[in-house]
Amino acid sequence: MLGIEGVRKRFGPVEALAGCSFSLERGRMLGFLGPNGAGKTTAMRGIFGLVELDGGDVLWDGRPVGEEERLRFGYMPEERGLYPRMRVAEQLAYFGRLHGLEADTARAAAFDWLQRLGLADRADAKVEELSHGNQQRAQLAAALVHTPDLLVLDEPFAGLDPVAVRTLADVLRDEAARGAAVLFSSHQLDLVEEICEEVVIIDHGSIVAEGELDALRRASARRRIALQLEGAPSDWLPDVAGVELLARRNGTLRLAVGRDVDPKHVLAAAERVASVVEFRYGPPTLDELFLELVAR
Amino acid sequence: MNGRRATTLVASREIRERLRSKAFIASTVLILALLGVSALLVRLVDPQETYRVAVTAPAPTGLAGALERAAQPFDDAKVRLRTVESAAAGRRLLEERGVDALLLLSADKLVFRQNVDVKAAAVADAAVRALRNELPPTPALTTATLHPPEHEPGDAAVLVAYAGSLLLFMSLAFYGQWVISGVVEEKNNRVVEVILSAVRPRDLLAGKVIGIGLLGFAQLALIAGLAAGMLVAGVFDAPAGLGVDIALVIPWFVLGFALYAVAYAVAGALASSQQNSETAGQPVTYALLAVYFAGYVALASDPEGLLASLLTVFPLTAPLVLPARGALVGVPLWQHLLAAVLVLAAIYALVRFAGRVYALGLLHGGSGLGLRAAWRIARAD
Repeated sequence: MLGIEGVRKRFGPVEALAGCSFSLERGRMLGFLGPNGAGKTTAMRGIFGLVELDGGDVLWDGRPVGEEERLRFGYMPEERGLYPRMRVAEQLAYFGRLHGLEADTARAAAFDWLQRLGLADRADAKVEELSHGNQQRAQLAAALVHTPDLLVLDEPFAGLDPVAVRTLADVLRDEAARGAAVLFSSHQLDLVEEICEEVVIIDHGSIVAEGELDALRRASARRRIALQLEGAPSDWLPDVAGVELLARRNGTLRLAVGRDVDPKHVLAAAERVASVVEFRYGPPTLDELFLELVAR
Repeated sequence: MNGRRATTLVASREIRERLRSKAFIASTVLILALLGVSALLVRLVDPQETYRVAVTAPAPTGLAGALERAAQPFDDAKVRLRTVESAAAGRRLLEERGVDALLLLSADKLVFRQNVDVKAAAVADAAVRALRNELPPTPALTTATLHPPEHEPGDAAVLVAYAGSLLLFMSLAFYGQWVISGVVEEKNNRVVEVILSAVRPRDLLAGKVIGIGLLGFAQLALIAGLAAGMLVAGVFDAPAGLGVDIALVIPWFVLGFALYAVAYAVAGALASSQQNSETAGQPVTYALLAVYFAGYVALASDPEGLLASLLTVFPLTAPLVLPARGALVGVPLWQHLLAAVLVLAAIYALVRFAGRVYALGLLHGGSGLGLRAAWRIARAD
């Protein structure tokens, strides 16, 4: 289990991490969310000792993370980088060996991953000869080649086409199913909502929400109502206290209400002026929750 | 993973990738070709030697012919014989540099001005024997000089000293450039983040320096081996004993490389992302250039002076100055030992410093980390 406990980091006047704590079990997938500059990358680099933390602890199974532990971790940094003139398969095997694999195992693992990511025919190509998308895949394979216990990926979905997004999502799910702890940051919240059980939302260096995604959504003080009406006046709003209009389009209204507002009152108000085609009530989506929590 | 394993992996990757690079193969072939061409040129332009020998009248008949024949095995050298009235006249002529040697047959003596020319002596000896129908091993002639011989460095020693230090300087700068370009490449394309997530910075640094050092050493050894082969084959003239001076260059290449390669690596780690490896390495290259010229000036003016002695033991200059001074005038053993101890201490200090700032510099993108900032951080640790 990964344990981040009260980590702090200051860059001059900027407090990048102001005492963050969260944890991640093996076999779980955690979406690490936050606006740009919130401290996500600093926290991830802190796990690998790539920034010297001012305070706090990074633990693996309760013990401070050191060189030995990091060999069992895989990292895909935000700024991608491989040796451009080195052959793909050799490079993956090299990273495998740096993580402690024997030469044969490393070579076999490199070919397995190339096969799995559809790069087998490019094994002997230099990295610089690969397309952008294929370089991304090679980078992913470099983080996975040694079958890590903890996988940390900084914006792995950025810049991928929808097919590649699907492949990567499948790979991450498989890694978690194998028993790896998977931590990744992303701005694609709909995707996070689809594949993650847990999220951590960080803002200004502090954790603003942490836990099971569904529980976090339900814990929100607000609820969402989607209402499709026929024959309502174009500027109609339900006359119920605590209702806020989020959007109105083609007769569909999206409303935000407090958790204590009874949705039946909204439905009743709507039925008084028009016929209701659709009425949905529920907790906010991750996207909405995110905006609520990090509103500036 | 233990550090040695990581260092070995990094070093072997450096060697493998560089052996494959066209630049490495091309540079090796080019240097070997240059060496071959220079050997050819030496053969072509090597002037025929002519020994001018004076002999007291009356010269025995057949002496001139015997000298000619005796000189033939020595690269077709020529001998010009002059007859002088008396031994005194001969000595005067020798003093005035009118001849190179004076043959006093009555005394079985060959007199030189100051230094005995071994070849000329051998030629004269063989000729006199032939004339007298004597057989070796008794030497027919003894040699003497007008003045006590001076211990001036011979031409070959001067060549070894200056060419050797130039070669050392160039190879330190050349292989240092490999180190820095490797470091800057890793830093600029960010692959270093992935590596440092698994490998300690000092192991990465050590692997890089050792890998490139071994490769440079192998390349130099190939060149030195070929040069030695050419010496043995007699392509170049070289006196005996020069081998020790040449051999001295090797340990000092290793020490000098360790010192300057680490400095280059630190310069690369501290470079900004806009800098290329050439500009990032300039401070170290300039330092190396200054060291080279300081050594050159000190040795050319007075190889046994105070400045030359100081530069022999000063850690930054010792790798270049010591082998050159050794070839020129010899260096006392205590200075060898002092220089080695000081250089090793300097390497140790630099590696410790580098270990601290290397990771900071590598992971610090954008504007690059200045040496002063790096020093501050390293001291604060």
